Amino acid sequence: MKSLYSDHPTWLHAVPAGTKLVFLAVLSTGVFFVNEWLSLGLCALICVGIFASLGRTTATVKPLLVGLMVACVLLSAFHLLMQQPALAAVTVLRLVCTTLMGIALTLTTRYSDLLHVLEWVLSPLKRLGISSERLALQLALMLRFTEHFFILWRRLDDAHRLRTGQVGGFKILAPLTIQMLMSTRHVADTLHVRLRR
Amino acid sequence: MNTSSLSIALVSLFAALVAVFGLIPKIDLPLGVPITLQTLGVMLAGCILGPKRALQALLLFLAAVALGLPLLSGGRGGLGVFFSPASGYLLGWPAGAFVTGWIMTLLPKHSPRSSAISAFIASALGGLVVVHVAGVVGLVNIANLSWQQAITGTLVFVPGDLIKCTLCATVVHTVARGLPDWRLGG
Repeated sequence: MKSLYSDHPTWLHAVPAGTKLVFLAVLSTGVFFVNEWLSLGLCALICVGIFASLGRTTATVKPLLVGLMVACVLLSAFHLLMQQPALAAVTVLRLVCTTLMGIALTLTTRYSDLLHVLEWVLSPLKRLGISSERLALQLALMLRFTEHFFILWRRLDDAHRLRTGQVGGFKILAPLTIQMLMSTRHVADTLHVRLRR
Repeated sequence: MNTSSLSIALVSLFAALVAVFGLIPKIDLPLGVPITLQTLGVMLAGCILGPKRALQALLLFLAAVALGLPLLSGGRGGLGVFFSPASGYLLGWPAGAFVTGWIMTLLPKHSPRSSAISAFIASALGGLVVVHVAGVVGLVNIANLSWQQAITGTLVFVPGDLIKCTLCATVVHTVARGLPDWRLGG
């Protein structure tokens, strides 16, 4: 499973993951306290500028940008239809600020760096029995099995198509779930032997 | 079987199943909110894993999305998706899975048929009502819709989600028959 992170280096890659996350948290909270479209417009302009400065790197997230544009068009059309142009501007500008910066952070921060920050954030929870190492193990298992289950889904679909001449669709959901639960037991046994718990 | 290892495996593998459901193409509806099969994963997690593990599975899935993995339908991922108009629905998934699992623990499961009926009720209340309430709160706060507009908007999804509840009940029925020793609802 490939992350949305881009290897093409930009100036934002050099900024530490923690700093970028704090900036995003402050920005996303801040824009919800501002109701004036002029200030939000200025903020959106800066965010678009930051995003545009990433250059070629942004090419990989075109589908996400198209999704953002569609949401902006639909939201503004809806509010304009309700004769609330100021509200349309405020809503769309907030969405542009937060979403663009969220995408920029994802594009320029390695999965492992974000995981380190997450582990650091969760470290106080160790006292409550929540282990950050366990989280890393679960994420790794999840990624490994996403691919595995997708291949399994396609195999079941192919088998169903050969038997009936029709696409499996929802009919293969139950066998997929049962096979997944059986795999879980095998994985649990392996983990038990490996982790001794 | 050791419960700690089983918990780790169940939580991870169910989060993977929710991700696989995202690989099936999404259908976009007005207001930028997509209809996806991933909510079926939320319902199934609650019915099959029980409240605590279902909550953990969905939190793990959302953590992976936040870390930038394109696991949501249509290959979406990253922190940006948590600011979209649909983010209320996303954040409602762990709560929905927990409530589904909790209701499942309260309802009878002595036969495959009763398990399926319980799964339908639990997924309708948890996977449908709770997720939609969270979605409406998201639409009101992020898309700046009025409560009435947001509720009207979310009603578009209800027929599709009722179909997912039926599918969830069917899967639970098959699991109850195929794996009779599995403790549904955790």
